[in-house]
Amino acid sequence: MLERRLLSNLPWGMVTLIAAIALLGIASVYSATYTPQGPSSLFTKQLIWVFLGVCVMIAALVPDYHTIGRYAYVLYAVSVAALVLVAIIGRTGMGAQRWLAIGPFAFQPSELAKLSLVLALARFYAEDPRSGNYGLRDLAIPAAMLVVPLILVMKQPDLGTALMLAFTATLITVLAGIRLQAVVAVVLIGVVVASAVFLVPPVRHAIWTKLKPYQQKRIKAFVDPASDPLGSGYHATQAKIAVGSGQTTGKGFRKGTQSQMAFLPERHTDFIFAVIAEEQGFLGSSLLIVLYVALLLMGVETAKNAKDKIGALMAGGITSMLSLYVFINIGMAAGILPVVGVPLPLVSYGGTSILTTFLAIGLLLNIRSRRFMLFY
Amino acid sequence: MQQDSPVSVLRRLPLLMGFIILFATVLFFRLWYLQVIKGAYYQELAESNRIRPIKIRPPRGVMYDRYGRPMVENVLTFDISIVPEDAPDIDATIAKLSPIVHLAPDAMHKIIDDAEPVRVKYEPVKILEEAPWEEIAMVETRQEDLPGVIVEPEHRRHYPYGGMAAHQFGYIGKVTQTQKKQEQADTGLLVGQSGLEKLHDKLLRGVAGRRMIQVNAAGMKVKDLGIEEPKPGTDLYLTLDLDVQRAAEEGLGDRAGSVVAMDPNSGEILAMVSHPVYDPNLFPRGISSRDWVKLSNDPSHPLYNRAVQSVYPPGSTFKIVTALAGLLSGEIDPNEKITCRGYLTSGKKAFRCWKKGGHGSISFHDALVQSCDVYFYTMGDRMGFDRVAQYARNLGFGSLTGIELYDEKKGNVPTAAWKKERNGEPWYPADNYMNSIGQGFMLVSPIQNCQLVSLVANGGIFYQPQIVKRTRNRETGEQRVFPPIKKRTYAIDPAALELVRNALIGVTTEAGGTAHGAATPLAVVAGKTGTAQVIAQKVAGQRLSESTQDHAWFIGYAPADNPGIAVAVLVEHGGHGGAAAAPVARKVIEEYLKHAGTKTAQ
Repeated sequence: MLERRLLSNLPWGMVTLIAAIALLGIASVYSATYTPQGPSSLFTKQLIWVFLGVCVMIAALVPDYHTIGRYAYVLYAVSVAALVLVAIIGRTGMGAQRWLAIGPFAFQPSELAKLSLVLALARFYAEDPRSGNYGLRDLAIPAAMLVVPLILVMKQPDLGTALMLAFTATLITVLAGIRLQAVVAVVLIGVVVASAVFLVPPVRHAIWTKLKPYQQKRIKAFVDPASDPLGSGYHATQAKIAVGSGQTTGKGFRKGTQSQMAFLPERHTDFIFAVIAEEQGFLGSSLLIVLYVALLLMGVETAKNAKDKIGALMAGGITSMLSLYVFINIGMAAGILPVVGVPLPLVSYGGTSILTTFLAIGLLLNIRSRRFMLFY
Repeated sequence: MQQDSPVSVLRRLPLLMGFIILFATVLFFRLWYLQVIKGAYYQELAESNRIRPIKIRPPRGVMYDRYGRPMVENVLTFDISIVPEDAPDIDATIAKLSPIVHLAPDAMHKIIDDAEPVRVKYEPVKILEEAPWEEIAMVETRQEDLPGVIVEPEHRRHYPYGGMAAHQFGYIGKVTQTQKKQEQADTGLLVGQSGLEKLHDKLLRGVAGRRMIQVNAAGMKVKDLGIEEPKPGTDLYLTLDLDVQRAAEEGLGDRAGSVVAMDPNSGEILAMVSHPVYDPNLFPRGISSRDWVKLSNDPSHPLYNRAVQSVYPPGSTFKIVTALAGLLSGEIDPNEKITCRGYLTSGKKAFRCWKKGGHGSISFHDALVQSCDVYFYTMGDRMGFDRVAQYARNLGFGSLTGIELYDEKKGNVPTAAWKKERNGEPWYPADNYMNSIGQGFMLVSPIQNCQLVSLVANGGIFYQPQIVKRTRNRETGEQRVFPPIKKRTYAIDPAALELVRNALIGVTTEAGGTAHGAATPLAVVAGKTGTAQVIAQKVAGQRLSESTQDHAWFIGYAPADNPGIAVAVLVEHGGHGGAAAAPVARKVIEEYLKHAGTKTAQ
């Protein structure tokens, strides 16, 4: 009975949107990884990952989301433990320690950490008797929940994920009902700290020397891409050329010169949007943005119609997280944000990213499907 | 369940909605600006303003001996190459270059055409590698005459000592198809194909640099953007001692065989030799297929690392194991005397001692010193070889030593059950006899036998045999040191150990000892000879050809009271262990003792 009702309540509009974005992603990875000898093995892997992702999404639909909420802290503890494990034994990829090898698979716990932080914070705020109207002093526990994975991720070092964690936690706290005065206070503190960092030379120097050389280069390159056209600025410059040269209608599928001739680095992972923009033009890239906005607004609506507070917070938190992914990734390819390693949800190549995104979206569908249900 | 209403969340959701719409609008207009308004500009950049990266090969890491002397290095050589894009008239350039490099124009055209499918524009094509300096000088002085011709510096792998320790170093060659798939390695790069060159290839390889040039729509160079220097590979500091290695190589000479020398207090390999050798310098230049076929089909197997990949019957060196088994199991009473009449019978067959007249009445010490076969036939039969086999396994035989080299063989420790399974035959008393003196089905590698004397020297500590001591990044100075690893300890009763050690000293010092050839005035050497029969039955009076001669063994350590080096020497078809193998060990030990404690690492 439950299954049939679940199926009839499934938001098919949202499912169609997800399928459309995922298919676009598969086609783009096919194009971005195509070799002169034919389709790359990365493409086959991506197909397998998407298939597994869909399985995970369906699995995330089956249990009542309250059950998942009950395990939120457990999931959080597991992902923190996995981050600690990475710090101890992780595999080094691209100069940073982010991967955990499980047999032949490399697994990136920082991706899972983002989702589990969302769920844990949702549960905390839902159960908190104060229920909104938080001042700064009331936020000690959620702040601690953020800081533990944050420090572990910064150790790796993975600035992109650290920023994602901080932004997501901020957004969900805003949703949970932080007092606006508190928000203003946070912003003020931020401004003061930032100006101290940038304007007081000894502090700036102390922080600057703490950064890894590749992070220094990326920040420099963002401020002035021309300063280093061969190194870090190369990514940004080449991505911008790729996006812009797509013009209105694009160069056509597998015809992007920037992408196909390998001028564009990381083109199947973090810079996949540049491939789409180059080959499909403004029409294609703005269509993708429209699809994402529709999906995200459905996420907002899911939160609005949720039966209870934990559902609303989970849906709101997941939507916030996905919005950040989408906007930071595209902003980076379009040259308005610095280059940080953030994948494009449902599109970028990468197993862990695909699985966690589908898991998150499965939870959204779960909450949306159960909005009419009574509790048994 | 309590139904709490999400009112507070509802109040804030418009903020999230606003955030999404705001950011999407910003991106929308940004893309509009980039793709529609400035689209033509970026289109032009994409078409006409491309950056072409051209690879620069990094120098591979150098391998030093334990005192910092280079054993594998790179030499700077110069290649004459053509960049076809830089030659306005390629035929004219080739015609002028032809007499300088002594290559027909057609041959040069063919080289360039062959390179075309994998080449990126502006990547030079090598015409003459390692050009002699006269030709380089000609090219350099006639630059204006030879547009498109360049002289490329190249770090070429060089093994200054030729075949010395070649099997450990391995060799490098072009990336194979499977390697390309597995690690997406560069096609142009030479990578390790065997030995340490392969095992530590990721470290040694370094990171290729790039020369970036900007080209226009026609593919012509607009300007040089600069060079991203290649990062040289990480250097390896080995445990090998160049002097000891050289002494071992020279000691073995032209004969086929192997020498392994190890520090019994750490497992560090001081020397490792396998003869015959090949010259690894043949490979980095691209070995000709004729040379390759010759090498790989050579019946003397020069590509084999005999020290770890070949197994032999241990001969009388195995009496150390039988002796320890007897003492530790209590079956040998060191004072008990056995009478050797020169043979021992089993059924109708007589098994000879190597000494025709016999040793007479003989006890444990003298039996091991003089290597009396009848004594060990008797003791082996008394214990039954299955029990001896158990001790052999405890002493590391039948399993890998774990040295970080490819394809180590674990040899064989026979038992009654093993023989039954192998050919269905039962285990006879004769099998006890023959295997107890190392002549039956026992098979050991030189490194296992070196490990055996090392265990006797250090009292039973299994160290991981080590060949890389530390790595050092040339640019950052960052080091990784690999300290000795104690894998396990096989506690040997000190009294039994003492008896065996004393007998091994007797082998080189006492009257009747079999290895006076290993003795040196520099220190007391303890050891054991072995002569492994290649064919069981020799035909009397017939002159033996070399391939039916026995394998000669000597294993030992020195100084006997404070061991610093353990050595195993095997000479294939060398004849008697005392005559053929012991003098090699002496040379190795003397070279080690000459410098022991006086040399310091750089």
